[in-house]
Amino acid sequence: MHALKPLTGVRGSEQSRGRKGPLLAAIPALVPFVVITSALELAVRGGLVRAYLVPAPSSVFRAMVESRGELMRAMLTTSASALLGFFLSTVAGIGIAVFLSSSRAIQRAFYPYAVFFQTVPLIAIAPLLVIWFGYGTRTVVASAFVVSIFPVIANTLTGILSTDPALRDLFRLYGASTLVTLFKLRFPAALPQILTGLRVASGLAVIGAIVGEFIGGQGLGSVVDIARTQQRVDKVFAAVLLASVLGLALFGLINLISYVTLRRWHASEQA
Amino acid sequence: MNRRNFLLGSAALLTACGKSSQKIRLALNWKPEPEFGPFYAAPYRKYGLDVEILPGGAGTPTIQMVGAGSAEFGIVSADELVVARSRGNDVAALFAVFQNNPQGIMVHASRKLTSIGDIFRHPGTVAMQRGLSYARLLEKMYGFDKVKIVPSPNGDVSAFLHDKNFAQQCFITSEPLIANRQGADVQVFPISDIGFNPYTDVMATSGELLRSKPEMVKPMVAAVREGLRIYLDDPKPTNVHMQQLNPTMPLDLFTETSEVQKPLIETEETRRDGLGVMTKERWETLIKQLKDLGDVEKAPAAEECFRSL
Repeated sequence: MHALKPLTGVRGSEQSRGRKGPLLAAIPALVPFVVITSALELAVRGGLVRAYLVPAPSSVFRAMVESRGELMRAMLTTSASALLGFFLSTVAGIGIAVFLSSSRAIQRAFYPYAVFFQTVPLIAIAPLLVIWFGYGTRTVVASAFVVSIFPVIANTLTGILSTDPALRDLFRLYGASTLVTLFKLRFPAALPQILTGLRVASGLAVIGAIVGEFIGGQGLGSVVDIARTQQRVDKVFAAVLLASVLGLALFGLINLISYVTLRRWHASEQA
Repeated sequence: MNRRNFLLGSAALLTACGKSSQKIRLALNWKPEPEFGPFYAAPYRKYGLDVEILPGGAGTPTIQMVGAGSAEFGIVSADELVVARSRGNDVAALFAVFQNNPQGIMVHASRKLTSIGDIFRHPGTVAMQRGLSYARLLEKMYGFDKVKIVPSPNGDVSAFLHDKNFAQQCFITSEPLIANRQGADVQVFPISDIGFNPYTDVMATSGELLRSKPEMVKPMVAAVREGLRIYLDDPKPTNVHMQQLNPTMPLDLFTETSEVQKPLIETEETRRDGLGVMTKERWETLIKQLKDLGDVEKAPAAEECFRSL
């Protein structure tokens, strides 16, 4: 009993620390941000780094404020395309992985083609994307989709294939059908891996959307392209920063889904 | 004793190396193509120079490279240079290959358009880098309400071939020839039609290099000037060499391009004042145009933008 007491005490204090909220939790992430931006600001102002190569954080901030309308509209457009591309690659990627997991033969026949998505040099096929899908949103979504689908397929497939054999036997013993086994056992068991795939895919979808916008026009990609031509390095960085914010937001969304779905049973969300 | 001699010897050798052959980097803003003929034809050795040419691609930031010293010389356009100077990048133009700007917009001849303004009066798609000064000048003059502006496909003509109402920015000496070969009936309107005619294919260097190593800059300009003469008189050997570096472009296209670009390079002025010549008046016109467009806030002085060596 005595040995247990301090243990519960520690737990209690951990919980209360956790409850102190997101503000305190954000401090470790804020420290490098403050240090790096101030160092950069000083370096540019002191003439160590030339402003036309790397802009001072203050001028990036100014560009952000000056062009806020344009940047916000661009960010909304990019967000919509990236989200749609990400959604499509989630649905299609999981679907393809389930299909591939159905038999060894199917896996051997089709998996190599899935790898195609991972290796496709987007820039090389860019002019074709434009011809297939036209200029604008469809090309951008296609681009986000193509670069983000592979991690979904690969992780989902690994997840589904690594179901605990003992549990599989149990399901078989009770005469569960393939579909029931898939939805009640294999799929839930694969969730942690699927979510890992989605985390990787979310960042890629943002990159894919921006690259798509270089060739298809509109959004943050277009802002970057124009600002680069006009040698507005500050505006380029402002747009890039917003793209990162978008990536972070998507990543946060997946983490939330992960927490909601896994907290009851998976170690990764119980720590 | 031996050791001391060895050290002295090595030190002398190092100094000698440093003096005799400093590698000079010349950064191109595109792949080896006929527009860079003079730079590949230039007899650098004759002028005691050891030059390494660095080919580029779409968006290679040659002007920043020159300013930052990651290349001693770079190929830029005059408008780009004015904007760079206004943003504190101390660079100066030395030699202009193209006296007349080779940029234009190509359309399908079947549309029977009669002027550059016509392109914007009829519905269609125009592929153009919106950040370019002339793009905004066109917008100011004609408006973009009737057309859909899409990003430039960087030399790729497949979308153009695919759509009869597609117009695209081009180098008069490049994309139209390629599209023609693919069976399209191409008509080109040069950007200089609207009075915007900055020097292009301009060799630039940094103010710092001009001050610290004038003995490197002057022979470099002389070598390139001689290179241009050689290339105009007989482009074939240089074309063969460049084609080896850029095998995707067929040799006969190199030949055709080097012929087509001649009138843009050799003009009344160059016959009078020498190849590559630049005038203060033309820089002034350009600076005023860019200021009117709002591309530069603090207009640099024309005489700071270029040197006649």
